[in-house]
Amino acid sequence: MSEGGNGERRERLVKLGSATAFLAIVAVAVLVVVSQSGSDGGDASSIEGAAEVRAELRGIPQRGLVLGDPEAEVTLIEFGDLQCPVCKVYSEEIVPQLIESKVRGGEAKLAFRNFAFIGEESVDAAAAAIAAGEQGRGWDFVELFYRNQGAEASGYVTDEFLTAIAAGVGVAGIEKWDEARQSDRVVDQVAAEIAAAEDLGLTGTPSFVIEGPLVDGQDVLGTPGEAGPLEDAIEDVA
Amino acid sequence: MRVPAEGTLRAAATFVATLGVGVAAYIAIAEADGGAPACFAGGGGCETVAASSHSELAGISVAAIGIVGYVLLLGAALLRGDGARLAGFGLALIGFGYSVYLTWLELFVIEAICQWCVASAVLMTTLFAVAAARMLAYVGTEP
Repeated sequence: MSEGGNGERRERLVKLGSATAFLAIVAVAVLVVVSQSGSDGGDASSIEGAAEVRAELRGIPQRGLVLGDPEAEVTLIEFGDLQCPVCKVYSEEIVPQLIESKVRGGEAKLAFRNFAFIGEESVDAAAAAIAAGEQGRGWDFVELFYRNQGAEASGYVTDEFLTAIAAGVGVAGIEKWDEARQSDRVVDQVAAEIAAAEDLGLTGTPSFVIEGPLVDGQDVLGTPGEAGPLEDAIEDVA
Repeated sequence: MRVPAEGTLRAAATFVATLGVGVAAYIAIAEADGGAPACFAGGGGCETVAASSHSELAGISVAAIGIVGYVLLLGAALLRGDGARLAGFGLALIGFGYSVYLTWLELFVIEAICQWCVASAVLMTTLFAVAAARMLAYVGTEP
């Protein structure tokens, strides 16, 4: 082929290369769009937020479902149902503020109690959280569950889903956790926590209750829509 | 800058794509049955990334997609001619772009780094540079 012919052919092929580059960029855009079309929660195969939860709780002691310095004189108790969508909002927007302002510094500890009233799935989830608490991952479990919560009573709280959450928060002894969550002891504890909520006259979740040196027993704080009133209550009873 | 001989570029692409097949295959095997690749530095980054929904694309493991991509790039590196040059360039650009996106996800969405994913991103970036050099310098020339 002549030199001019070679030049033309090369020019044509470079144009083809440009078109290839354009198509490749379109292909990447399609991949990104497909990747972004994520699930709506409740999917055992796509547990998200483990790193966020780990960062939120890093360095704070946990015992059972109690988060914070065991010596803290004030205890803020959240009665929640892991299936409750409002609790999820609190978990993502209000609880992190409380952890940073009052729990991390040791001013108060935060206890999660199961007011599992939405249905049998809530009881299963509550037992799984308590069992995770026995291995030092209770709050991690609660927080990661909320971040992956599905639609209420839709059947997503399966053994597979609960196991994925437990594995996601680093429960080391999954078999031990599995046995514990199905044990009469833990199931009875869930029932006792529900009964405690009812005895306090709570009617919904999340509901907050406080204990401290300046409180005789427990004060019911209800469901304030922001962290401020809860922070004030901690200061008031300290 | 003087571009290396096409044979050198093809040999480099063959080597890097083979490494890529190995890395992607290791991630895919490690993630099978809910596992995760071993991160040397610890810290749970690999487990977190493996547990993320972004480790799958439309229900298919991203690592498995990576194996297919690296095998195709290996084929393009082994073959001669303009078809292989253009195909290698296009595939490497897709792989590079998607690797950039995955790295962004690790840093800002999943907030965890998996060293094996970073290794794959580096390999794909290298493949893109080699494939682009091959296409720009040699397309339209005799194989």
